[in-house]
Amino acid sequence: MSAQKKRTFKIEAFKHRVELDPKYAERTWKVLEHAIHEIYNHNASGLSFEELYRNAYNMVLHKYGEKLYSGLVTTMSGHLKEIAKSIEDSQGGLFLEELDRKWGDHNKALQMIRDILMYMDRTFVPGNHKTPVHELGLNLWRDNIIRSGKIQTRLLDTLLDLIHRERTGEVINRSLMRNITKMLMDLGSSVYQEDFEKPFLEVSASFYSGESQQLIECCDCGEYLRKAERRLTEETERVSHYLDVKSEVKITSVVEGEMIANHMQRLVHMENSGLVNMLVDDRYEDLSRMYNLFRRVPDGLSTVRDVMTSHLRETGKQLVSDPERLKDPVDFVQHLLDEKDKYDKIISKAFNNDKSFQNALNSSFEYFINLNNRSPEFISLYVDDKLRKGLKGVSEEDVEVVLDKVMMLFRYLQEKDVFEKYYKQHLAKRLLSGKTASDDAERSMIVKLKTECGYQFTSKLEGMFTDMKTSVDTMQGFYANQYSETGDGPTLAVQVLTTGSWPTQPSAPCNLPAEILGICDKFRTYYLGTHTGRRLTWQTNMGTADIKATFGKGQKHELNVSTYQMCILMLFNSADQLTYREIEQATEIPAPDLKRCLQSLACVKGKNVLRKEPMSKDIAEDDAFYFNDKFTSKFIKVKIGTVAAQKESEPEKQETRQRVEEDRKPQIEAAIVRIMKSRRVLDHNTIVTEVTSQLQSRFLPNPVVIKKRIESLIEREFLERDKNDRKLYRYLA
Amino acid sequence: MNCLRYPATCFIHKLGRGHRDKVQQFMAITGSSEKAAVQALKASDWHLEGAFDIFYSQPHIRTVTDSRHLEELYNRYKGKMLVVKNEGSQDPYVDMILVDGITLLCNDLQVDPQDIVMLVVSWHMKAATMCEFSRQEFIGGLQYLGIDTIEKFRDKLSYMRSELKDEQKFREIYNFAFGWAKEKGQKSLALDTAIGMWQLLFAERHWPLVDHWCQFLQVRHNKAISRDTWSQLLEFAKTVDLQLSNYDEEGAWPYLIDEFVEYLTENGIVQRHQN
Repeated sequence: MSAQKKRTFKIEAFKHRVELDPKYAERTWKVLEHAIHEIYNHNASGLSFEELYRNAYNMVLHKYGEKLYSGLVTTMSGHLKEIAKSIEDSQGGLFLEELDRKWGDHNKALQMIRDILMYMDRTFVPGNHKTPVHELGLNLWRDNIIRSGKIQTRLLDTLLDLIHRERTGEVINRSLMRNITKMLMDLGSSVYQEDFEKPFLEVSASFYSGESQQLIECCDCGEYLRKAERRLTEETERVSHYLDVKSEVKITSVVEGEMIANHMQRLVHMENSGLVNMLVDDRYEDLSRMYNLFRRVPDGLSTVRDVMTSHLRETGKQLVSDPERLKDPVDFVQHLLDEKDKYDKIISKAFNNDKSFQNALNSSFEYFINLNNRSPEFISLYVDDKLRKGLKGVSEEDVEVVLDKVMMLFRYLQEKDVFEKYYKQHLAKRLLSGKTASDDAERSMIVKLKTECGYQFTSKLEGMFTDMKTSVDTMQGFYANQYSETGDGPTLAVQVLTTGSWPTQPSAPCNLPAEILGICDKFRTYYLGTHTGRRLTWQTNMGTADIKATFGKGQKHELNVSTYQMCILMLFNSADQLTYREIEQATEIPAPDLKRCLQSLACVKGKNVLRKEPMSKDIAEDDAFYFNDKFTSKFIKVKIGTVAAQKESEPEKQETRQRVEEDRKPQIEAAIVRIMKSRRVLDHNTIVTEVTSQLQSRFLPNPVVIKKRIESLIEREFLERDKNDRKLYRYLA
Repeated sequence: MNCLRYPATCFIHKLGRGHRDKVQQFMAITGSSEKAAVQALKASDWHLEGAFDIFYSQPHIRTVTDSRHLEELYNRYKGKMLVVKNEGSQDPYVDMILVDGITLLCNDLQVDPQDIVMLVVSWHMKAATMCEFSRQEFIGGLQYLGIDTIEKFRDKLSYMRSELKDEQKFREIYNFAFGWAKEKGQKSLALDTAIGMWQLLFAERHWPLVDHWCQFLQVRHNKAISRDTWSQLLEFAKTVDLQLSNYDEEGAWPYLIDEFVEYLTENGIVQRHQN
């Protein structure tokens, strides 16, 4: 008898394998294969998703994934080959439509197939390094349809042809195009690029190359640019409608290259319509278009800028060298201002306020304004004109605007110290002749100059204003002080000028009439009484007088004349006739001034209070002068010849320039000493550079002058040459 | 042969002909002994000029001068035309050798007063102004040179002439000449005097452009010459070649020299090829 074995219950797997009958695999595959056929034949509705999924699942589970996968490949390829044929067979215009339709179908089928085979996609595919189903479907489409011999070329040609037609004005089916290009994109960006984009760009290039050649022959610049712009817009629009967005920058750069970059020089220099003509005629729209188009291509803007610069320099140079223009300084400066305005407007309206263009404008102006060494003088004369009368009736803001514009020109000047000298002269004349239209405007100008150049520039100018004001106070004090002595005597208005603040004028004394002398002496006594240690010198070459004159028939006139003229006229109180020599002797007025005065008193129509014999225009030493009893004038008050600021005569000009040069020497020396004091040892060229940069806000020093100043400083033992290197200088403490 | 006993003879025999000549020359010029001559020449590797330098710069070799003789010499030449303020007092102004004295000196030395060697003499004496020597300058200078008689002075002249051949010394003498030739109290040298000096100096050290330089100054400048211009001219003459091919416009030359270069080019005297 055997003992009872104790048995625990175990559940064991089947000891024999449940083999999937290979026939079962084949059978399962057939089911799936059939399904695929049905799907492609638009018969999917009869299929059971669940069953198919399970079948696919089982195959993979039982290690038949490979069979499934390769079966898929074969089946799908087979279908695609058929589809290819049907597409190839389609006629002409229907080609694309057929392709599009079949593509749609394929995608739908692919979707379904993938869903069915999802288990395989997720498990078998990754592990076996196979292409996932969806991608596989696209690749097969690509290889069997798109890259099939007949279809490939036909597809490309069709697409390009349609695009060409659209470019020449036809309307095409854009949404169909969209679908096709999207298809290519879906197949992979390299497919899109290789099979379409690249050839597209090449063909476009030759299209635009041809078009641009044509257009440039028959269009003027503005027209051409309009057309180019239109093409660019068109291409951008095309891309947005039916091409891949990444194609935009590529196609636009093709257009830019062919239509603009390749023809830049020709466009810009086109006769009668190129850049220069546009600038001259203020064609803002054309200029703006040119700017916007040219900025897209390399060197485009620099080309435009360079042509503008050289044109500006050329016209500027002509302007400042034209002798006709230079006859009227105010007009000359006005032209400069107008030119600046013009270009400011162009840059703001058409060139997008581009800073590099602003800089080109500034450097051009700086270049040609300084070609004419009278520019500083003329600009001062312009300001003088405005401050005398030009700004009457103009509002305060407008005054500011004009002065600011003038300051812009001032900034371009290299020789600011020359301007300072002239401004001082002109201001002095304005103040002394009482010709300032607006005190506020004068002050405003001073403030602007001070802001620009610093306080030293304007301190003397301000001194002049102070003197004017003080003189008014002094006169009040004087008359308050006078007892009733004045009565019938002449009234005196004195302006006391501090030497040093005012431009120096040599003044030869002349003999004042007794009546005047009297009151002048009274004033002198009064003034020196309140200001000891000062010296007063009458400036008889300046000043005016109002004289009451009674003529032959009793007409009374009030004559406003210069001091010299007064001296001359007063002589006729005691004589009816005087010769030139007698007048000269009596007044001691210097000959050239005397002649000018007599001319203005005797030879000018409407102002001839004197009569001259002989009646010639020039004053000769033997001429005789008579009080002109027969003088008439419509006006009671007659003004005879005030000295306005005129352009300097040659010798005066030389003198001023001489003085400016002399003034520069100490400034240069001071700069040299400053630099050497801090640097101790420097070579020659560096000194020259440093000095130039230190002084550039006032003037541009001449290197030869700098050298001479250095030698002078060596002479005076401020500097010495280095013993070993003769190009080095040392500072001697 | 006992060389110790007859050292001089021994040396002479051992020297080659060329060296012997040099020794003799040396002795004639310096008045030194044969031994000293050979020593100096050996030390300078048988170069005469170097030997002179060595000989004269060795303080212990310097010949001691007799100060009494020096006084006598000085008194012989010092100024005789007097405007004496107080009898018997020493008026320092007149205690100098003036023009007459110098003429006499030159006579004694058998030398033309215009001879450039007098410039070298003045240089040694550190004379402040031409045509006068102060007591200190005269006596001090002669002491330094080891001279206390006219004969010794005469003998020294050829040595002094030879000093002009030395680059470094020529430069010192040249630069010295500026201060010496100009008027007392003036900063610059009058043009005529400068031209005279240049003619004199550049006869010693040949500079082919000196005549053009002088002409240029008379035509274009006609003013006094500054010290800097004077000294820089020598540098110019030494460094810049006659075609001006190595003249550097940025070379910080005095402006007068820049103008001279322009003058030469403008007048076709020199054809500059611009590099």
